[in-house]
Amino acid sequence: MDFAFSSDQQLLKNSARAFLDEHCKPAVVRSMWEDPRGESEGLWKEMAQLGWLGLSLPEAHGGSGLGMVETAILLEELGRAAYPGPYLPTMLAASAIDEAGTDAQKKRWLPAVATGDARATIAFLDKDLDWGPDAVGTRAERTPQGWTLTGEKRFVPWAHVANVLLVPAVGPEGLTVFLVEPSARGLGLSPVSGMDLATRWVHVSLDRVPVASDTVLGAAGGGAALLGWLLRRGAVGAAAEMLGAARRCLDMSVGYAKVREQFGQPIGSFQAIRHKCAEMLLEVENSHSATYYAAWALDAGAEDQELAASVAKAYVGDAARKVCGDSIQVHGGIGFTWEYDLHLYFKRAKALEPMYGDGDYHRELIVRKIAG
Amino acid sequence: MDLNYAPEDLTFREATRKWFAANTPTHDLKTLDERKAWHRTLYEAGYVGMLWPKEYGGRGATPMQQAIVSDEMARVNAPPAINGLGIGFIGPTIIVHGTEQQKQRYLKKMLTAEEIWCQLYSEPNAGSDLAGLKTRAEDHGEHFVVNGQKIWTSSGPIADWGILLCRTDAKVPKHKGISCFLLNMRQPGVEVRPLKQITGSSLFSEVFMTNARAERSDLIGNLGQGWEIAQTTLGYERGGNSLGRVTRYASAFNQLVKATKELRRHGKPLIEDAAVRAKLGRIYADLEVQRYAALRVLSALQKGDAPGAGSSITKLSYTEFEKRYYELALEILGPEGQLLAPQHEFDEIDTSSGEPGTWAHAFLWSRAGTIYSGSSEIQKNVIGERVLGLPKEIRADRVKA
Repeated sequence: MDFAFSSDQQLLKNSARAFLDEHCKPAVVRSMWEDPRGESEGLWKEMAQLGWLGLSLPEAHGGSGLGMVETAILLEELGRAAYPGPYLPTMLAASAIDEAGTDAQKKRWLPAVATGDARATIAFLDKDLDWGPDAVGTRAERTPQGWTLTGEKRFVPWAHVANVLLVPAVGPEGLTVFLVEPSARGLGLSPVSGMDLATRWVHVSLDRVPVASDTVLGAAGGGAALLGWLLRRGAVGAAAEMLGAARRCLDMSVGYAKVREQFGQPIGSFQAIRHKCAEMLLEVENSHSATYYAAWALDAGAEDQELAASVAKAYVGDAARKVCGDSIQVHGGIGFTWEYDLHLYFKRAKALEPMYGDGDYHRELIVRKIAG
Repeated sequence: MDLNYAPEDLTFREATRKWFAANTPTHDLKTLDERKAWHRTLYEAGYVGMLWPKEYGGRGATPMQQAIVSDEMARVNAPPAINGLGIGFIGPTIIVHGTEQQKQRYLKKMLTAEEIWCQLYSEPNAGSDLAGLKTRAEDHGEHFVVNGQKIWTSSGPIADWGILLCRTDAKVPKHKGISCFLLNMRQPGVEVRPLKQITGSSLFSEVFMTNARAERSDLIGNLGQGWEIAQTTLGYERGGNSLGRVTRYASAFNQLVKATKELRRHGKPLIEDAAVRAKLGRIYADLEVQRYAALRVLSALQKGDAPGAGSSITKLSYTEFEKRYYELALEILGPEGQLLAPQHEFDEIDTSSGEPGTWAHAFLWSRAGTIYSGSSEIQKNVIGERVLGLPKEIRADRVKA
């Protein structure tokens, strides 16, 4: 039993921290706010060179064959930097192709993801914004050449830069996941702006979009299990990223409380501030335990992996919101300004809170699992 | 990172599980004699003082083995050993700071519960500000004469010995004038008055010392070293049996789920009510996070890392959780949750300290955790100063010092 990172894992964490401190400073995040793509091609390629994009992909397809723990370590650091770009959705989509794809699909997409030539995402949400597989309203109809897809997908992260979208749709066999390229006829992309300008969401419309037979990912009708698998990984990945944002807010608050003086003393000497910081640390440390327990459980195929993923998402979502919010309170007026960087992380944590199932959704999954 | 149990720990767990399946008493232990007998059985099986070195009668076990035993005991709701304060931290304090003579005299009888121990720290006017304590000990050569009052003394009425903090020098700054003694509770100068708690039971007491006698040979460490010794002592108290505690929470949670299937409101079982389900999900997630955190602490202890000020995070986390837990549980259960005598099987749950009771007892007992052994506010001060490195507050007593 060892809850600590191995030396390789610690090395990955340290090097990610060092790289992002240098190459993903707040100024870089800000420079992407006005950018139409919202992400930097140069940064993406450097991440590929560092081996981050193929981290969890098999060595045969240009990856490093590592697991969810390592992915979570990276995502925590990316959250800490409020990194703007499609790392999480690309990682998730690629892991689904690796899990369920044919050899041809893997050859087509996985090396391209690992080298930074392709980005990917998952169109989880339909019109009614429900994370359950039963809620998918998009239809798949058979044609002589393959299929056509019709429906509306909402809040798809980074779809405007993706080379391939995983699109769940209901066909005659049931829920099925398709690999859809955005250039397909009848597919429309409409970016929407959320509070976190460094997270991009896109509404995707599908009007009889033709896709070939070989774009089905996994078995036709096998989409629910695959989406459940993906949702768990997404939940843990989002938890890791929120944890990073929260840790950054805590660090900034503690640093500020040491130097900001009022009434002739550093404000950190006042219990009102010190106790708030202690509570924030408690939430961050518990979030660390929840996130990495769940990541390990997914890697190990532990009996409680489904519960652990839901616990992590439900707990860390609440904790990160509280910690990031309290950090604004500790800072006072300066924390509420556009110029100060706190809102980068505050907004990142908030943007991830509803994604891959919000707290209410995961708490309901938990109760279903333990009590029926 | 690898959260699998090592093969030898699995083997140990299996043997432990078998032993408790065969030996756990099937009825509540009512008298002190019954509890002492159970303690003796545990001791003879090697399940008491597991972390103590072998030379002092312990087992020299790993923290993991100790955690496994507390976990297995919780699984079958086995009554805890008695003398918890003695074995958990007074004994270790004697092992670290005591003389060889003190070790020979006290440790074995503490382990076997032949002698029960209590802690004489808090006073009516020295709670969170423990260093402000006023009980004084006057040097009479071979012995000291002790006068003063202690409060919140667990096991006071049954204790044979106490570990005492008292002032031996009023002229030096307050933290420096405190000494630590082992005090015989069975003497005319010591009077114990039980203190009834909000749970209705009297686990605590007040202790009045009037010209009581403490032997010079029972001084721990040097004169004036008491505060320093107390710091290590409190550290032991905060390390603890976190895994077993979480398992007791989890068994209570299973009872809660049972209750929501049997109790009905608005014509349907509670479990079909979305608001109840949301609360259950919230408790479960919170409870599991306490378990993960316990495993994390355990893995660090197992590697020999001292918990240090980090143990304040653990204590703050589980005691605050415990309040949230039983508050939500009683919201779900309604008036059923307030019964003092069980009417259904699901009403019977242990408090986190392992005492049998009902939801009402667990709910009331949950108010103690954030006060005893350093209140939540004190823990937050410790975390702020020693973990986060925030500046110390400017305090009147520190300015004087």
